[in-house]
Amino acid sequence: MTKTELYDYIVEKLTGEFEVEESRISMDANLYEDLEIDSIDAVDLLVHIKDFTGKKIPPEQFKDVRTVGDVIDTIMAL
Amino acid sequence: MKRQLNHIWRLFGTALSFSLFGIGGLLLGLLFFPMLFLVIRDPLQRQIAARKWIRRAFCLFIGVMKNLGVLSYRIHGQEGLTVPANCLIVANHPTLIDVVFLICLFPQADCVIKSLMWRNPFTRFVVLAANYIPNNDDAALLGACTDRLQGGGQLILFPEGTRSKPGKNLRFKPGAAAIAVRAGAILQPVLIGCTPMTLTKGEPWYHIPETKPFFELQILDLTRPDDLVGNGMERRRKEKALNRAMEELFRHHVGA
Repeated sequence: MTKTELYDYIVEKLTGEFEVEESRISMDANLYEDLEIDSIDAVDLLVHIKDFTGKKIPPEQFKDVRTVGDVIDTIMAL
Repeated sequence: MKRQLNHIWRLFGTALSFSLFGIGGLLLGLLFFPMLFLVIRDPLQRQIAARKWIRRAFCLFIGVMKNLGVLSYRIHGQEGLTVPANCLIVANHPTLIDVVFLICLFPQADCVIKSLMWRNPFTRFVVLAANYIPNNDDAALLGACTDRLQGGGQLILFPEGTRSKPGKNLRFKPGAAAIAVRAGAILQPVLIGCTPMTLTKGEPWYHIPETKPFFELQILDLTRPDDLVGNGMERRRKEKALNRAMEELFRHHVGA
C-alpha cells in the first residue's frame, strides 16, 4: 500500500461517511479545526484505516496526530 | 461570629470526612475487596456484591458529611425509580463528589474509571471486583461502553468528560451521545446542582464555601433518543443531533 492509496482511501471516507467537502482536504488539513472531525469521528476513522491497512495507531501516538498528513505518516511508519 | 464558627466547624468536618473516606477506602481496598475474590468465586456474583459494598461505603460517606453538618442534600424523582436494562445515565458534573451520589442512586451501574486505579494497589481490587470500565483508549472505551449497555446493563457517564468549568456554558463531548445511539440505549438524565458551588474543578477541597453547600439532584424522566431527535437520521447525524439535544436539555434545566 502506498501513501497515495492511503490518502485516496482517507479522502473517500472523509467525503463519504464524514461529509467533509473535498476541497477542504489536503495533507496539511487539520482534522479537528479544518475538517471538523470530532473525537468520535477520529475513532471511527481509525477503525476504517485499520480495516483497510491492517494497522492500528496506538493511542499514545494518536494523541499527537493533527493533520491528514500526520495520520498517513504515522501509519506508514508502523 | 456564628457564621465564622460554622465555617471553622465545616472545615474541620470536611477534613474529617475526607480523612475517614481516605482511610476507610484504603482499608477496604487492601483488605476487604481482595478478600471478596477468595470468598466469592463467580465473577458476576462478586461484581454484584462489590458494587453493593461500594454503595454502602458511599452512602455512609454522604451520611457522615450530612450529620457533621458539612453539607445538606435533597433528591427529587427517586420515588418509584426503576432503571431499565440498556440505560445510559447521564449527569452534569459540577463537583468532585457527584459520582458518590450517583452510585448511591444507581449502585449496579457500570462506571468509567481512570485506568490508573487498576495499577494502584489500594484501588486495584475494588475496581477489579466491581468490574468497572477502565478509561484506556478511546476506541476500546467506545466499544466497551456500548457492549455493556447492549448486554443489558446500565452505565453512568458524564458527557462533559470532566468537571464543569464554573461560569462557563455547559459543553458535552460527543462520546455519550455516540454510545447511546450505537447501543440503542434509553437515557436517564440526572441534574446535579450545588449551592453555593464547592468542590469544583480547580478548587482545592479546603476552599469551602461561606455557607453550607446544598446538593440537589433531580432525576428526570427516562428519555428515548428518538423522542429528542426523531428516528429518520443516518447514524452519525443522529449522534451529533442527540449530543446537541442533550446539551440543550441540561442547559435549559441548569440555566447554563
